[in-house]
Amino acid sequence: MHKESDSALIARAKEDPETFGLLYKRYVGRIYNYIYYRTGNHHDAEDLTARTFYKALKHFPRYVDKGAPFSAYLYRIAHNIVANWHRDTGRRQIVSFDNLSITMPRQQEPTAVAERKDEREQLLQAVRRLPLERQQLLILKLVEQMSNAEIAEVMGRTEGAIKSLYHRTLVALRGELTSEDGNERKIR
Amino acid sequence: MNEKRIVEALSIHANGLIGRSKATQQINLTNAERNQLTPLFQLAERLQQNVQPVQPSTAFVRSLGQELVDSARRQIALTKRLRRAVLIGAAAIGSLLSIASLVGAIVFVIVRWRERAQARAAQAPTG
Repeated sequence: MHKESDSALIARAKEDPETFGLLYKRYVGRIYNYIYYRTGNHHDAEDLTARTFYKALKHFPRYVDKGAPFSAYLYRIAHNIVANWHRDTGRRQIVSFDNLSITMPRQQEPTAVAERKDEREQLLQAVRRLPLERQQLLILKLVEQMSNAEIAEVMGRTEGAIKSLYHRTLVALRGELTSEDGNERKIR
Repeated sequence: MNEKRIVEALSIHANGLIGRSKATQQINLTNAERNQLTPLFQLAERLQQNVQPVQPSTAFVRSLGQELVDSARRQIALTKRLRRAVLIGAAAIGSLLSIASLVGAIVFVIVRWRERAQARAAQAPTG
């Protein structure tokens, strides 16, 4: 079946509440995923996802479709809500390990599973220490699998700037991991 | 080493990782570039393997969806009522202005007519 474009849905949703529901269904998974990786738990992810869509709905009558993807509008709202949440709670960004065990291959030895989990934990902790915009870039790129053009739209930058930021992020992350290894060796 | 080429190579690699690579996207790396980039490629691959997408619960999606549709319905109804109220208000103000201008015009004509009558009376010979 032909998938109706965002623009067509947006135009209809101004008069028809059910159509806003269709827009919601189209993006709820992606927004939830994004918020989950920036809050670290399902409870807050649900709360902030709901706030994101309520805010989008509140401002929807004034939303002007300029051809940009509707998801960019939602991601921007989600980003601001998550930033406020971090400011209000004073919490560090956490990447959850809630369901990582689900993705583990079943037939691995317990020690191998533990080692892999350690490695993941080390990697994700290093991600958490990155500046917020770099974490955002990694989530949009590798979890949401967005193109550079889409990320540029969400983050309000050019495509070239996103490519450079991705390069700098990987270099910084590698630095984090290397210094972590060095520290561990010093302790041992 | 040209940083622009490094940035481009990493971008192409990332696109490949997320299944967005294009056949036209290719960059021939020198050995030095390859040596510099391999650890970054490996790091990106490790990251990609470790950040698995998650899904919200079906119950949450369904209940929030229903609440949003109800809220959208109320919002649209409120907007329509407001629009109608504004329209009626504008029409009422317009009518009042029309009546006021009509009354003003009538008063103006009467005043002028009286002034002329008084002037004519003053000019008329007495006796």
